[in-house]
Amino acid sequence: MKAYVSYIIVSIITIVLSLLFLFSSTNKKGLYTTNLFYMDTYINIKIYDVDEKTKDKAFDNIDKIYKKYHELSDRYQKYDNVKNIYYINNIDINTEIEIEKELYDLIDYSVSFCNQSNGLLNIAMGNVIDVWKSYRDGEKEGIPTIDELKDKNINLEDLVLLKNNKILKKSNISLDLGAFAKGYATEEVGKYLESIDIDKYIINAGGNVKVGNHYNNKKYKIGLEKPTKESDIYKVVNGNNIAVTTSGSYERFYEYNGKSYHHIIDPNTLFPPQYMLSVSVITNDSTYADALDTMLFLMSTLDGLDYVNKLDDVYAIWYTNDGKVIKSEGFKKYE
Amino acid sequence: METRKFTTLSMLLSLAVVLNIIESVIPLFNGYIPGLKLGLANTVILFVLYVYSFKDALYVSILRVILVGILRTGLFSIAFFFSLGGAILSVTMMFIFKKITKLSIVGISIVGSIFHSLGQIIVGMFILETANMIYYLPWLLMFSIPTGIIVGLISKELVNHLQNDLKIKEY
Amino acid sequence: MNKKDTILIVIVLIISIAIILGYKLFEKDGIKKALVYYENDLVLTIDLTENIEKTYYVEGYNGKVKILAGNGKVSVDEENSPLHLCSKQGYISKSYETIVCLPNKVIIKIDNIDELDAIVK
Repeated sequence: MKAYVSYIIVSIITIVLSLLFLFSSTNKKGLYTTNLFYMDTYINIKIYDVDEKTKDKAFDNIDKIYKKYHELSDRYQKYDNVKNIYYINNIDINTEIEIEKELYDLIDYSVSFCNQSNGLLNIAMGNVIDVWKSYRDGEKEGIPTIDELKDKNINLEDLVLLKNNKILKKSNISLDLGAFAKGYATEEVGKYLESIDIDKYIINAGGNVKVGNHYNNKKYKIGLEKPTKESDIYKVVNGNNIAVTTSGSYERFYEYNGKSYHHIIDPNTLFPPQYMLSVSVITNDSTYADALDTMLFLMSTLDGLDYVNKLDDVYAIWYTNDGKVIKSEGFKKYE
Repeated sequence: METRKFTTLSMLLSLAVVLNIIESVIPLFNGYIPGLKLGLANTVILFVLYVYSFKDALYVSILRVILVGILRTGLFSIAFFFSLGGAILSVTMMFIFKKITKLSIVGISIVGSIFHSLGQIIVGMFILETANMIYYLPWLLMFSIPTGIIVGLISKELVNHLQNDLKIKEY
Repeated sequence: MNKKDTILIVIVLIISIAIILGYKLFEKDGIKKALVYYENDLVLTIDLTENIEKTYYVEGYNGKVKILAGNGKVSVDEENSPLHLCSKQGYISKSYETIVCLPNKVIIKIDNIDELDAIVK
């Protein structure tokens, strides 16, 4: 009998142990994803460590934010009761209008940035951009001539910002917020998430990525795509609480006579720049990243390298026309 | 083979087949660990191994798998080959361990259980061309202990009491 | 109990517990995809990162196999087979786990390559 007892005990212990191991599980992080389409871009947002109710509210408000900036920055469409860019571009000159605070703030930020960009960024480029667009869309063949472009009014100083969210145009300039709107909206979404204590997130709005804290105490891996046909990843950025943006995406250009013409236009030459294939910026603020990115795209790589190396907490990486990769000082910390 | 031995072995074979089929309708842990079973048929195999010979045990094992294959899993199906691999490895290793170690019949039963699982996994990895099956090994090992013990105890009683009735030499 | 038996039992216990602990230690995160094979051909890849469970169908040897996937795990919900062992296997979520449906010749694995969190285009 004694032998049997010890056998039985051993059996029971083993079974219990096995079950314990079998049904124990390590931490699993849940996440919620949503996909939106605004400002001509597929936007994917992931948030971690939230319950379903919070997720519903968060996604709802994120949609509202992107929708708002989509409508406000829209140049080609008007929306009922929304005084957006389309509206502004069509009002009479010298008429004071009051616009929504969000748009005013966005324009204000953009104008300040433009004024410090040595003339490289200009949100009043609408008239020139329209000419290029008509060629890009196929209405006209080939590329515009300099004559078609040089008499277009792009004088940013004719945009006057007044108190109480009021603005007025002194001439028939046309505004285009392409270099700022997406980054600004993304930054607003990031701020919103942090305000409701969601600190683990990834926002991916086309060439604009913003991440918070990592869901597992590691670092987010953000891949940078080669700006060529292959579109494989040429660099992985590892980091948390950063914004990563790229200018010069392979997708937004058109070809004529064997050359590519990008949709970013240099205010000085009135033509798209040819300095590089793409440049990406890493910094904390998504608006700044987006704007700086565009600006660097309009400078030679050497000038850009110089410029970024003088800045604190800003890093950049260039993919040159002949396929070389150039990194700014300190970029290593994200490799 | 003398008639008495032949008939006895045949009855034992049928018993093994029946036990195998009965226990196959009791899935343990609802399939969380594939291949896990009580191994009741092993009581018979052990008995044959101890009371008769390794060769006899091997025959009964193989025939058991074939008969169960015809009746249940499908002859030459994937499950059939799993079973065959497990059964052959199991009875062989039981014989070897019985010869070279001083394990009791319960210990040998545990060995049989272990190598039955191992045999199934090895055959599985070959046929399915995936190494993923080996994940379940530690669980199968752990469960070999209680199942091996139960089967071993039953076999021990059978061997010690029945061989007299069967008029075979003392173990 | 025979002394040798005890030694055997202890050795087996130690080995199996060591392996299981090894699994727990080396579990990787960021589980992303389920790979569904029919007769060793990859027929379906499922992204498991969403928190919503979705249903997928794969043609197995005996008919349609219904797969539930999402929330970092995948399982077989329904399939045609005598014992339904496959649909009883429950969820798998780790890279070394497999669901094997013998009668339907379907195998489901988890792909655990350390994936990128985002790609900037």
